[in-house]
Amino acid sequence: MGVVFERVSKAFADGTVALDSLDLAFDTGEFVLILGPSGSGKTTACRILAGLETPSSGAVRVDGRDITRLPPRERGMSMVFQNYALYAHKTVFENIAYPLRVRGAPKGGIDRAVRDIARMLQIEAQLDRRPAQLSGGQAQRVAVARALVWQPAICLMDEPLSNLDALLRLQTRTELKRLHAELGKTFVFVTHDQEEAMTLGTRIAVLNEGRLVQFDTPRRIYRRPASRFVAEFIGRPAMNTIDGAVAGGVFRAGPLELPVGRPDGPLALGIRPEQIVVCPAPTPDSIAFRLEVMELVEPETLLFLRKGPVALIARVLRDLGDLRPGTDIHLELPPQARHFFDPRTGARLE
Amino acid sequence: MKRGWRALAIAVVAAVLVAALTPYLWVFLTSFKTRIDALSGTPVWLFAPTFEHYPQVFLDKGYLPLVWNSVFIAVSTTLLSLGVGTPAAYVLARHDFAGREDLFFFFLTTRMAPPISVVVPMFLLFTALGITDTPLAVILAHSTFNLSLVVWVMRGFFADIPREIDEAAMMDGNTRAGTFLRVLVPLAAPGLAATAILCFILSWNEFLYAFVLAAFESRTLTVGIPGLITPHGTLWGQVAAVAVVATLPIILFTFLVQRHLVRGLTFGAVKG
Repeated sequence: MGVVFERVSKAFADGTVALDSLDLAFDTGEFVLILGPSGSGKTTACRILAGLETPSSGAVRVDGRDITRLPPRERGMSMVFQNYALYAHKTVFENIAYPLRVRGAPKGGIDRAVRDIARMLQIEAQLDRRPAQLSGGQAQRVAVARALVWQPAICLMDEPLSNLDALLRLQTRTELKRLHAELGKTFVFVTHDQEEAMTLGTRIAVLNEGRLVQFDTPRRIYRRPASRFVAEFIGRPAMNTIDGAVAGGVFRAGPLELPVGRPDGPLALGIRPEQIVVCPAPTPDSIAFRLEVMELVEPETLLFLRKGPVALIARVLRDLGDLRPGTDIHLELPPQARHFFDPRTGARLE
Repeated sequence: MKRGWRALAIAVVAAVLVAALTPYLWVFLTSFKTRIDALSGTPVWLFAPTFEHYPQVFLDKGYLPLVWNSVFIAVSTTLLSLGVGTPAAYVLARHDFAGREDLFFFFLTTRMAPPISVVVPMFLLFTALGITDTPLAVILAHSTFNLSLVVWVMRGFFADIPREIDEAAMMDGNTRAGTFLRVLVPLAAPGLAATAILCFILSWNEFLYAFVLAAFESRTLTVGIPGLITPHGTLWGQVAAVAVVATLPIILFTFLVQRHLVRGLTFGAVKG
């Protein structure tokens, strides 16, 4: 059962279409990541689930119940905002206690619940402070505590880590994962950061231009991207894709020729930078590329390669100290590492 | 160099202080002068003070109830304007609807006509309603200009509060009304206090509406002053005594405004 988006569309008054017939379903208890570039509709999807936005058409169901028109307070969900949205006039304790007070929890339980969640998030020492006296990381924890203290069935997070510095982001990421495991609640987490998505999600919903492109485990998103968009969006650097055509079982793009054993016609070939094999000497399957630029990002090396109009990036973990830009090097594009996409629709071809 | 600027700054502040405070000081002194000292052709700084004007005007002439009228009217119009204007300002700050900016501007236009041009129709209207010379007439009249003030100032305060605060309050279990009353109003409290004090001062100082609409039973302190201009001459000592009493709350409230105009509180709501 769980959460279901049924052909949900959202067009704003100014004409922008944020969501275009979104279909998405996931189970309760999952840690779902909604990933997409800016303008992909990921935040709108999250806000529609929260009830802060009403869809133009379509329905949202939770455990079979249609909640499309329910106000936020009746949905049993909480939310962590990008800017935390703490109440400046209340202490940290009162911020965290607030959803319990509004929902009429018994007095005695409030104190215990607040202290429990504060301990879990290591903000006990800050309970008497005001939000203005907190660091970014502490404010973020308070926001998470406020969202989880009343044990909502679903907790939504709209880019909650994007205002934190890199180190803190890493720590908080680990902590959210731990919280999810401990509490067993459904987490829906919106981000544009693929690394966050890959590490946190039990499943990732990749959105582009208001549509769901792929909904899968991080592993499958990386290994079997459903479309060229996902392939080029996930991975650092992104997957190389080469537009060309197959004739007589051979893929051709400019001077590049590669036997692929596929039917004739236009084809986009994809290969991840880390799966390109750099050979010290020519082999029967290797192709010569001109090395244009080398970038050393310890411990790995990025190679920017070119053959005619075809540009590739390779990522190598070995020490390649003897390579010189401007020389030719030999690459193998292993058959099992190749991906094929329809150049017109971008769909994956098996 | 720095010293020179500092000296200049002190000189400017001193000049402003002298220009602003001399009239008050003069009024204050006059309220303790005998008629002869008050009317003296050369300014008298040292004189034998008399304390007769205060009891004369407030007790013998019965001006004491006027203080109450002024307070009652100013407090009532402040409450009415805030009660109506604050929700309006919130809606104008938060909700998009057709004609929002026009409506907002319309509130300002209500202040554009000179009061003298609307006070006569207002008098006729209130006479028809049978409320002339009641506090209600003056409260309503003062609310016409205070309302636009509240809407304009409070909209800015609400706009300063990030929308996520509203949304967080709703996610935490509030209705829209609950969000406004329980979260937004407390957050905008410094703004509310400052606006309330401005409303109070504007109503307290107002003369024309109060004079035309309630010149007898419900007259305010400001309206009382012309009553001291008699066929036998102006009773300057009593005028000064009324003026001193009428200025006290304004001075008091101005200090409060200073304190509350600091918006600091709301900026803690969102930290980057």
